Amino acid sequence: MLAPAVALGCALLLAQAGGGEEEDTEARARELLSHLGEKPASPPVIQPPASPLPMQDPNAATVCLTLPPTKAVPSGRWRAQCDDSTKRCLVAPMYELDADGVETERTLERVGPCTDESYFSDALRLKTYRLEPAVADAPPGWYRDERGRVMQFNFDLNRRLWLGGAWAPLLRDGEVEGRMRADFGISVEVPGEGKRLHRLRFLETELFLGEPSFETTLLRYDFSVERAEPLFRVTTFFGKPRRYDIDINLGLWMEVLHAEELEREDTKAGFLTWGAVHATLDLWHSKDLVSYVRVRAGPSVERDYKNGFTTLVPGAALEGDLTLDRDGFHHLRVGVEAEKVLLAQSVEGRPLRPERLRVNAGYELILLAINDQPLSLVVDGRGAWREDLQNVPAQWEWSGSAGLRFSLWAPARRSAPLATAARE
Amino acid sequence: MLALGLALLLASAATEASPDSEAEACLRTDERGEQFPICFDPGDGLLLGTGLRVRDGERAQSLRAGVLIRTGRTSRSKGTPWFNSHRLLGVEAWGGEQRGLIATAYDGTLRRHLEEGFILLPTARPVRIPFPFDVTLAPRLGHLERRVWEGPGWTLETARVGLLVDPVRAETGRMWLGVGPAASHTLRHSPDGDEHTVSPFTTLMLDTGLESADGLWALHASGLAGWSLGFEGGTYFRARAEAGLERVLFAVQDQPVVLQVSGAYVHRDAGLARGSEWTAGAGLAVRAFSARW
Repeated sequence: MLAPAVALGCALLLAQAGGGEEEDTEARARELLSHLGEKPASPPVIQPPASPLPMQDPNAATVCLTLPPTKAVPSGRWRAQCDDSTKRCLVAPMYELDADGVETERTLERVGPCTDESYFSDALRLKTYRLEPAVADAPPGWYRDERGRVMQFNFDLNRRLWLGGAWAPLLRDGEVEGRMRADFGISVEVPGEGKRLHRLRFLETELFLGEPSFETTLLRYDFSVERAEPLFRVTTFFGKPRRYDIDINLGLWMEVLHAEELEREDTKAGFLTWGAVHATLDLWHSKDLVSYVRVRAGPSVERDYKNGFTTLVPGAALEGDLTLDRDGFHHLRVGVEAEKVLLAQSVEGRPLRPERLRVNAGYELILLAINDQPLSLVVDGRGAWREDLQNVPAQWEWSGSAGLRFSLWAPARRSAPLATAARE
Repeated sequence: MLALGLALLLASAATEASPDSEAEACLRTDERGEQFPICFDPGDGLLLGTGLRVRDGERAQSLRAGVLIRTGRTSRSKGTPWFNSHRLLGVEAWGGEQRGLIATAYDGTLRRHLEEGFILLPTARPVRIPFPFDVTLAPRLGHLERRVWEGPGWTLETARVGLLVDPVRAETGRMWLGVGPAASHTLRHSPDGDEHTVSPFTTLMLDTGLESADGLWALHASGLAGWSLGFEGGTYFRARAEAGLERVLFAVQDQPVVLQVSGAYVHRDAGLARGSEWTAGAGLAVRAFSARW
């Protein structure tokens, strides 16, 4: 009894001293009461749930409150995000719910930190606010359902390790040959200083069965950049002087140890590129630099290990890699590439300076995610025209493929929205 | 003894303990007040052992060595735990009339554990279908087999990767059961030339293990069966199964000495000739640095 009496006395004193600041004084008095562990006049009441449930904000401060036990939440443990101006708290159970909506023993995954009410002086006051059931917060790119279970809805396929298989028939000489393709690779994207994005690919491998061939690259690196300063600026002096900025975003593309082995008719060919360095020019890139359309050109040093000599291979390409939607489910990749083999030794049955031309277009679509690891459908079409195969006449060969890819890692994209924004 | 060991193993594996109590239970104090470990991790340590190997009735002395590393980590991108076992530079060599060697550069299992696995259908409001499995990645790189009595030549599995699902979903790295498709590439080199075969996820793989909480008992079994396709044509069916049991007998300077018993059957995949054979082995090994403090 002593503590409430003292507190009430203090409150009265403060009220007298305040004069015209009655509201402020009352608030201070209530605060003082809360410090002294006074219980609210009536037990907190959780409102009936709205439909759909509101979602908590991962950036807002969260308090772990203990409320009276309910049938659904017998532990009485809740995560609360409160707004003093509206005197309203969004409350979500601290544990996942089962199919019947009753609390389980599993704590919520991927929630932000929660300050226990014992460290919070205003906890009792919060319990007097309007308590509205909500879904607990989830990080960007993750969705939490009404049972509190979290799942990823946004995937970055430019950061992943993938394994795939596809049916990839080859059309050549008017005949279709059945082939299977297995593919593997690791891709990483790292934002750099300023507006720069580094892309790395490790061990990107495709292995074809049927008409056997394989292609693998130890390391591929490139970057896109959005330069702050224009490369050129042109000022005109006809009438009022005007300045025109010309932005040219030049970058770099390089490859280390690229091997290609293939068999056509009775000819076996093998090429090992020690290294290739190309300059790139982005014709277009997205704001986040992830998607691009660019041209690149430069030389590479290649070993024709079946014929035993090393060549210089200048090449040029127009290519695009586009992520078509916000959540990274749709990807379009296109490319046209031309190469000419120089400094080759004379080989019977092929030109001295053979040429290669390749075109490709592919689409990848995430079908579903297994334990937050995406499984995607990959379809593509490719064409190749090449003169570098001994005793094999140069002609177009076409292939199409359809298959599946399983990706590990694949975190949420850096631009991933919160589930609330995604819902809206 | 085997039955008793298995019973003890199952009983202890089923008992979960908190990390603190586990650490305390793994230490004893001697009369001088010094602590010594009584728990070991079968997935950790530097292994060096010798034993007897029997293949089709032929007995030979064998040596085995390797580096075992077991780690656990929480994924930053997914926020869930991974239970990883890595086996590096594993070698088994045996003498006798049928001398041979098996060496593996890397063999690992990486299991991502979810309390409640699911398949997400990306509809406007994501739909979650129960998928009660952990997902395990089982890569193996550079597995070489050399059989001197078969003449010049060797078999090299350059890479194999299994994508396994684990219905057990244990919350520790001491129990697992992975089943799923595996892809691999194998090169058989002989004086007649090189022969490449590939299994593009046309092989079913199994990997399972159970260890007692104190690590004194460990049971491991694995198998695979399926088809591989030759670059030059041809389809080959093969199957392999192997099982092993380990029991820590005693420890010297806190380094456990382990009794290892194993058996294996290979169906149309052994050596250059793709033979079938049984092998069995028993031996002792020191697994240094595997004590759990």
